[in-house]
Amino acid sequence: MNRKTFYRFTAPSNLLMLTLMVFPIVVAVFMSFHFVTFRNIGSPEFNGVQNYIYILSDPKFWQAFRFSILIVIVTVPFQLVIGFIVALLLDQVQTRLRGILLAGFLLPFIVVPVVGTMMYKQLFQVGGLYAWFFELIFNQSFVFNSTSVRTLILFQLIWYATPYPLVVFFAGLQTLPETHLEAAEVDGASKFQQVFYVILPHLRPLLLMATMILIMDMYRMFDTILVMTEQNPIYHAENLMMYNFRIGMQVQRLGRANATAVITILCVLVVLIPWLRKTYLQVMEKE
Amino acid sequence: MKQVRNPYGRLAMWIALALFFVYSIMPFFWTALQSLKTIRQAFARNPLFFFEPTFKNYSDLWLESSSQNLSLLGIIVLGVVVTILLLAIFSDRISIPRWLNNTVIMLLIFFLIWIVPRIVDTAEFYNYFVNSVIVTTGVIIISMSFSSLAGYALARFSKIDGVIILIAALAFRALPRMAYALPYYSLGQLTGFHDTYVMVILVLVAANQPFSVWMLRAFFAEIPKELDEQAKIDGLGPLAAFWRIILPSAWPGIISTALFTLLLAYNEFLIVRVLTQKKWTLPVAIAQFTGGEAPGHLTLAAAAAVSATVPIIIIIMMFQKHLVKGLTGGAVKG
Repeated sequence: MNRKTFYRFTAPSNLLMLTLMVFPIVVAVFMSFHFVTFRNIGSPEFNGVQNYIYILSDPKFWQAFRFSILIVIVTVPFQLVIGFIVALLLDQVQTRLRGILLAGFLLPFIVVPVVGTMMYKQLFQVGGLYAWFFELIFNQSFVFNSTSVRTLILFQLIWYATPYPLVVFFAGLQTLPETHLEAAEVDGASKFQQVFYVILPHLRPLLLMATMILIMDMYRMFDTILVMTEQNPIYHAENLMMYNFRIGMQVQRLGRANATAVITILCVLVVLIPWLRKTYLQVMEKE
Repeated sequence: MKQVRNPYGRLAMWIALALFFVYSIMPFFWTALQSLKTIRQAFARNPLFFFEPTFKNYSDLWLESSSQNLSLLGIIVLGVVVTILLLAIFSDRISIPRWLNNTVIMLLIFFLIWIVPRIVDTAEFYNYFVNSVIVTTGVIIISMSFSSLAGYALARFSKIDGVIILIAALAFRALPRMAYALPYYSLGQLTGFHDTYVMVILVLVAANQPFSVWMLRAFFAEIPKELDEQAKIDGLGPLAAFWRIILPSAWPGIISTALFTLLLAYNEFLIVRVLTQKKWTLPVAIAQFTGGEAPGHLTLAAAAAVSATVPIIIIIMMFQKHLVKGLTGGAVKG
């Protein structure tokens, strides 16, 4: 395919991404240096880096920042490990049950996130099943407070996203050549050694992809936190996206909100750039 | 891996799988149960498992209080659903073309959505459902036609600018939604496009582009290049070759990608919330229920949650293979 045909084919998609993603980011950067509310959207007032100074000196911002990082650090390893173990176990099932199990495992991941969170939350609300278990075990009723809501958010996110690495690893296991494992077994490798020295190296490229996508998705998680906290500040469970949303849509300071958006983009670039570089090298190498 | 033979090992394995399965679907099971209870039953101190189910929550959710013609509605819905099922099941046996069959099914579904509010008084929730259908359909049609062209071109063109576009798309996938939703909020307010389907659909298509371009590129790369050359020898131009030769052999990949596009559009909360005033889709409408303080909201919210999940469950049952294939994004060959 020559260059001219290539650009004709990709024109609609490129144009769309250019106008609907590059352009808004330029607008966001522009607005982040201005004082903008709903009254003066048409005529923003330039105010230099004041928005950034305000945000970076807002303790609420740093609280949200810490919670965002906490979410990524806690949930991603659990999602990967649980996903890997369940994928290994599911690989052992050879009967028709496999499909049924897989469908059930997938459900949390593909249901509407708002709905999934609501359902998970209902288990802990008054009259809920897990709230009842909790009361039986700890002999006190389950209360929604800062600690419990934050913990619940972490649990819900693990429940929600574990199917993704699970399915990725499961599909990866299907392509593992049987001969590799047989050779390892002949050499006297135990099951654990087979997992560590044969299966894990085979899954490494997938592991990297799944980890990156999970990190990015957990970082920009919004729906779960909105539904769990109902935007109630007493739970101190705001992450960067919630903070951004509140500043923009409720406090209606669009300049500050855009400054926050710019900061969140800069933060994600820290993990993104090495990965993009690696992908770039990979794609170039393949061609 | 070889099957574990040790009986204790196998027992432990089954227990672990069963526990994880129960844990995965428990919220769905429990919410479905709650949605069939009265408020008093739902708030019972000891959770109720056996009770006389009531469908009041569902009728409150979907219908205005003074609804008649319910039996007429039942007959029509049943008739259309049975026709759709028959068409779907026997599509291979009857001698009409596949595309005609599928078009008839789609038209029947739209007819059903159109006819219901004309027979009974539907509640607000029905409008949100219709919004969801409109937005999702729009996003799938536009996004798939753009991204299949781009995905194919990117699979066949490997110069530096192609790779740069790919990497840029990957970067866009990582962007926090707020970064591009907010500027569009301002622009929508200025131009009067706020709270229109067009705006929501276009922004969702853009949000979906990077991901579907990558996925389709992987699927198109698996189609042998010899097909292109054959088409060239037959005297077809690039577009004709794509339309007549490449596209038909790429259907499985396109279905996988379309499924994920559907999920993205149907599930999206933030973009729709920011860009609309009243034209909410289901996720935004449902989030409203959770904000309410009235106790009646618990069972009503449960009914809403189940209603929004049923289409997803149908999809997972029909297209499980495509979903698994799509999640690995062509990263796994074989």
